[in-house]
Amino acid sequence: MRRFLAALCLGLGLAATGLSGPARAADLPEPTGPVILVVSGKIGVTNGAGTARFDRAMLEGLGITKIRTSTIWTEGTPTFTGVSLHRLMEAVKADGTNLKAIALNDYTVEIPPEDWQKDAALIAFQRDGKDMSVRDKGPLWIIYPYDSAPRFQSELTYARSIWQLHRLRVE
Amino acid sequence: MPAASSSPASPAAGPGRSRAAIAASRRGVAVTITALAVCFALIVGMAWILLQEIDAISTAKSDNVQWTIAQADVEFLRLRLAIEGAEAGRDTLDELRRDFDVFYSRIQTFAQGQSFELLRAREAFETPRRKVSAFLDGALPLIDGSDAALRAGLPQLARQAEAAAVPVHDLALAGLMAFAEKTDIRRGQVVNKLLVVTGLLLLLVAGLVMLAAAFRRVAGLAEARAREVQASATRMRSIVETSIDAIVLTTRDGTIREFNPAAERIFGYRPEEAIGARAPEILLRDDRARAALASYLRRRDGGAGPRGLIELTAVDRSGRSFPAEVAVDRVTIGEDEVFVAFIRDISHRKAAEENLTDARDRALASERAKADFLAVMSHEMRTPLNGLLGSMQLMRDVEMPPRQSELLGRMQASGQLLLGLVNDVLDLSKYEAGKLEVEHRSFRLTALLDGVVETTAALAGERRNELEWVWVGRRIDAAIGDPRRLKQVLINLVGNALKFTWGGTVTIEVEWLGRKGAEIEFRVIDTGIGIAPEDQDRIFSDFETLDSSYSRQSGGTGLGLGISRRLAHLMGGEIGVESELGEGSLFWLRLPLDHVAEGAVAGTVAGDGGPAGRGVAGPRAPVGPLEVLLVEDNEINRAIAREMLEADGHVVTEAADGRAGVDWARLKRFDVILMDISMPVMDGHEAARQIRLNGGASVDVPIIAVTAHALPEEIARYQAAGMERHVSKPLDREDLRNELAALMPGAPGAGTVPDEGRTAPPEVRLPLIDDARIAALCEILPRPERLRLLDMLVAEADALVARLGEGRDLGDTDLRGDVHHLAGSAGNFGLSALRAELVEIETALKRGQPLDRQRLRRLPALWSDSVTGLRRRCAA
Repeated sequence: MRRFLAALCLGLGLAATGLSGPARAADLPEPTGPVILVVSGKIGVTNGAGTARFDRAMLEGLGITKIRTSTIWTEGTPTFTGVSLHRLMEAVKADGTNLKAIALNDYTVEIPPEDWQKDAALIAFQRDGKDMSVRDKGPLWIIYPYDSAPRFQSELTYARSIWQLHRLRVE
Repeated sequence: MPAASSSPASPAAGPGRSRAAIAASRRGVAVTITALAVCFALIVGMAWILLQEIDAISTAKSDNVQWTIAQADVEFLRLRLAIEGAEAGRDTLDELRRDFDVFYSRIQTFAQGQSFELLRAREAFETPRRKVSAFLDGALPLIDGSDAALRAGLPQLARQAEAAAVPVHDLALAGLMAFAEKTDIRRGQVVNKLLVVTGLLLLLVAGLVMLAAAFRRVAGLAEARAREVQASATRMRSIVETSIDAIVLTTRDGTIREFNPAAERIFGYRPEEAIGARAPEILLRDDRARAALASYLRRRDGGAGPRGLIELTAVDRSGRSFPAEVAVDRVTIGEDEVFVAFIRDISHRKAAEENLTDARDRALASERAKADFLAVMSHEMRTPLNGLLGSMQLMRDVEMPPRQSELLGRMQASGQLLLGLVNDVLDLSKYEAGKLEVEHRSFRLTALLDGVVETTAALAGERRNELEWVWVGRRIDAAIGDPRRLKQVLINLVGNALKFTWGGTVTIEVEWLGRKGAEIEFRVIDTGIGIAPEDQDRIFSDFETLDSSYSRQSGGTGLGLGISRRLAHLMGGEIGVESELGEGSLFWLRLPLDHVAEGAVAGTVAGDGGPAGRGVAGPRAPVGPLEVLLVEDNEINRAIAREMLEADGHVVTEAADGRAGVDWARLKRFDVILMDISMPVMDGHEAARQIRLNGGASVDVPIIAVTAHALPEEIARYQAAGMERHVSKPLDREDLRNELAALMPGAPGAGTVPDEGRTAPPEVRLPLIDDARIAALCEILPRPERLRLLDMLVAEADALVARLGEGRDLGDTDLRGDVHHLAGSAGNFGLSALRAELVEIETALKRGQPLDRQRLRRLPALWSDSVTGLRRRCAA
């Protein structure tokens, strides 16, 4: 619960910053629950202050995708549930050549366009049907379908599999 | 040229060298294949290793593990700072909680992540990790509790965190060490693999070098072989191109594929014209030549006989035909079958051969002409001689003063000698012409030898020589052979021995040789002058006399021994001489002779007279008396024949033509029938046939054909018609007697036909009138009869000669009969020249040849001359 609160505070803070910016077409609804993801940068859809803030319900509203795959960080072959990064980028009308993903511990990776211009990466929020806490690398974790092809079993892909994700910036 | 280029291994290479090269090349190939296999295996091995490595590298089972482990230190530090910050009031509790969760999540990853399985197995990592996990789990109630509780627990949390600092550090170090080791091992493995790959690469390079060497060697061999083949092809081509014979290569169906320069020269076709054309059609003259070639090829295929040559008539481009000698060989080149034909133009050789043959034929012809001339001469000489001798015999029938009788005796002796010589020459020429044939009949040696002694007794008496014959060894009297020839040879030998011996002895020894006695030897041994060794071979040559002056004295032609040698050879025997000068000579005659069981031979040969025997033995005694049927249309001939027969005491019945003869023969049995051939109404052939067939009284009586001159093919016809023997016209009394004697039962003389009538016209100029014959005629016929017959002759001849001279009615069928009739009459009156002309005309008519008008026109003059002479003589 405290995690959610912290996220909420963070989200509100960001929202406040956004509100202070120039007015924009706010065609993305305001989040009603705690904000768990903030997308900024070159995007065409926002919900105030140049950012697109998402709560859990908004993410689910973009459409659920599931990937069943083993990872090098987990035991067994869990099923991850979330929204596809591609769909999210479409939802915010991302218009950049690079995407920076930033975690709670400020771990930052760059995800190239080929990973989000087509269906590859997933922003997972559930593992085996249960929401992931920060202790479990939640609340959001970028997952690739590692088992489906050898190209997803590279160190680069593992490095892009950022967990405890809470911000994205399109550049 | 396919045949050349495809020829097998070059002959220069030699079989040994070639085999070695092949073995070497096979070794090379084996080495190459092995090397290739090794290289392939190496490449597969290397690829496997490298693919494994690529696989290992391309998929990472871990992300940056070192970073993750190092991060644990950093995040632990952040947590401790957050705890301190919270104690000091700088940081919020939420920040503390977030840093706790982040660290917690990191340590959870160590506990659960696949990447860390390896580390978890290590005590140095697992022990501190458990301690850290225990610290985190211990702190959970505090972190998850209320803010107040957390705030109150901060100092405790700080202490616990401080205590956990060492394990966290150990954990990080152990992780780093483990991964360093792992990386080190991994590097070692990669190095090893690379070493292996390097080794394999070296091996591969070595294999490739070997391969290259093997290929080089094979290529070298191939090149050498190609050079050899090239050289061989060049040699073959130069042989083909410089060949004097045409060489034509064709496919199975005869289509020309190669045409060498000689073929071009011989046939006149350019190669581009000939190639593609069908060889038998353009190179051979006609279907006959093509058929001959086809049969030659069949024979070759069938018999597999020796490579033969065939002569064909070829034709060149301009249509000139020429004889060609051709040899065809079949060559199989792979699947392809071709024919190689060697063709030689042999027209020059043929021409030379023909010239040679012509020259030989001309030489032979001239030789034969000479022999014929000799034979004709001898034969023609015999007729007047017989006339002389016959007349002398008839003179003996009348009384005459002793002086005349003595002179007549000399004349008779000289005449007989002359006749003997003529007969010798005739025998010789007959032998040379191949006309003598050996008889094969039974006879008695005793009688034969008695006859020899009897015949030569007179000569022996003259020289006061003793003459006898004796058996040596077994006495087998009966034999089968040619008694006439044998007697002739023995008389020759004995006569010869007697001539060169005075007051000595001549002995004839007879001895059967061998156990079975199929061979006999006669030895004529004299005690005369002998023969020098150097002369002993010479004496058997023709016309050879050792002493010409003596030879003249003793009256020899020098032909006797030559003839004896020929006759001996003819009978399959040999003749020879052993002699010493002054001691005497031994002539031996050895010949195969069959003997027969005693009693199988009837009668004797005493009466048999050969030409030589006849002369010395004296006149033959007439046989008979006989009943004779004389069938002859020519009245003159008939009259003379009747006179001759009746003079010997025979009873003669005359028939004027064949029909009359047949009628007589049916009614009455005669002892012998004399049958003229050319007769009106029914000729001699038909008459003889009917007599043999009609079953009359004389059905099996001997018939003797009487003919002026018989062609050889006609003699066969006489015999076919049933006439076993024939005598020549004009009739010779002695001949007639011989024939009659030979026919009589028990007379073994029946055998050869006497001299065949000669059809060739005499090439010498004949006397107009044969005086001897006129004399004989005058002797036989009384004057009134003579004149009557002469008138008949004149009447007959006037009409016919005029007709022939004017060339009238030459196509009439009766002409030949008329000519024959007149020729017979003219012969009897001794009108030799006229008779010869008429005989020639008759021969031409018989053979259907055109008549020579020029000669016909000369006939009347000839007749006129003849008749004038004849009247003068007959009137005498």
